[in-house]
Amino acid sequence: MTTATITTDINIGPFKIPANGQNMIMNNYAERNNLVVELLIPEPMMSNALATAQWVHKKRKLTKVILSSIHQLPTKQDRIEELLINMEDVEFHFALEGICGKGRNFLLEYIKESKIFMNAKIIDSTKTTWLELYKMMQEKGIR
Amino acid sequence: MDLYKELVNGPGYAVCPIENMQLFKKLRDSFIDRFNISNGSEKNINVIRKAMLKMSLSELNRLRIHDITHTNVSDMMVNSCPSLIEKLCGKELFIQRRAFIIFNVPDKKHQRIWNHYEMISGISPFSYVIWAPLHDLEDDGGVYVIDQEKSLEVMKKEEASGLVNGPTVLDMERYQKPCQIKFGQAVIFNPFVLHGNVSFNSKLARIGCSVRIQSYNKPLLQKNSDYLKYYKLP
Repeated sequence: MTTATITTDINIGPFKIPANGQNMIMNNYAERNNLVVELLIPEPMMSNALATAQWVHKKRKLTKVILSSIHQLPTKQDRIEELLINMEDVEFHFALEGICGKGRNFLLEYIKESKIFMNAKIIDSTKTTWLELYKMMQEKGIR
Repeated sequence: MDLYKELVNGPGYAVCPIENMQLFKKLRDSFIDRFNISNGSEKNINVIRKAMLKMSLSELNRLRIHDITHTNVSDMMVNSCPSLIEKLCGKELFIQRRAFIIFNVPDKKHQRIWNHYEMISGISPFSYVIWAPLHDLEDDGGVYVIDQEKSLEVMKKEEASGLVNGPTVLDMERYQKPCQIKFGQAVIFNPFVLHGNVSFNSKLARIGCSVRIQSYNKPLLQKNSDYLKYYKLP
């Protein structure tokens, strides 16, 4: 019966969140949702396989894990399959999105949603101005 | 005028009827249920509005924090106005993951929303905001919206002097008159029109809800999966 938080690489999908920021996000989520964190799992940088969490689960039997975002889920098919097999019985919490659930379908749904967001076009806010954004809305329409 | 033109090229906002009142009433009733205040069989929003007046600032804050955990309000709001949304954004959408339930208690010491552009939060310029009260508005407790021409004029002046949401914008709110709309109506506006609410005198608190939507085919700005979710209209 173990609840763990998982920190990963600083680059999380569209976000850049340092590990101490991830801890703040996850601990605040745990507090708001009355979850008691017993273990902190640091995943290595440059990896989104969640392999460390899977090894820990084999030894410690995790019941709940908290991640900062759905964008920390694996993206490569073989890694996804491993996660689905090994952690199907673990309840996943995603703090920024404020969602939780468990099982194959739940994980696949949020892997898919993460992909949708990663495929969406993003306006670079460092290369625009308020009036350019307004012009964009007027010219390119909203539909 | 065509709603799309009204929102993009016209005043930038419009008052629209809620299409599915049955669902919108369900949304209101689910909010009432959360308070667990017994009032016989009838679900009465005014009982909640009155109860809020007696709450301390910390109780109101706790309520706001508790409220962000409810994710189905967004779906209910979007499905309360499906044709309007489809007409503006299509069937495939990004919608706010957790719509806001906003309550404002009369009296100056209580929290209110400053005059602002929705854009300052980093939502896409292709977004719309839908705001609807959970009861009739008979006083100044509602939201006010400043038309696009005036909002843009201020934005241009501010940009020329390197400001955003500066003193001019903040000072404008004292001249504003909120929309007095009924339960069953919503204000919809683009992210470039200035809006907010003013301190008001009333015997009851004001409760409203708001949701942000955009087409799935339009680009995002800074808000991502932390704030939005993919949603397909039925």
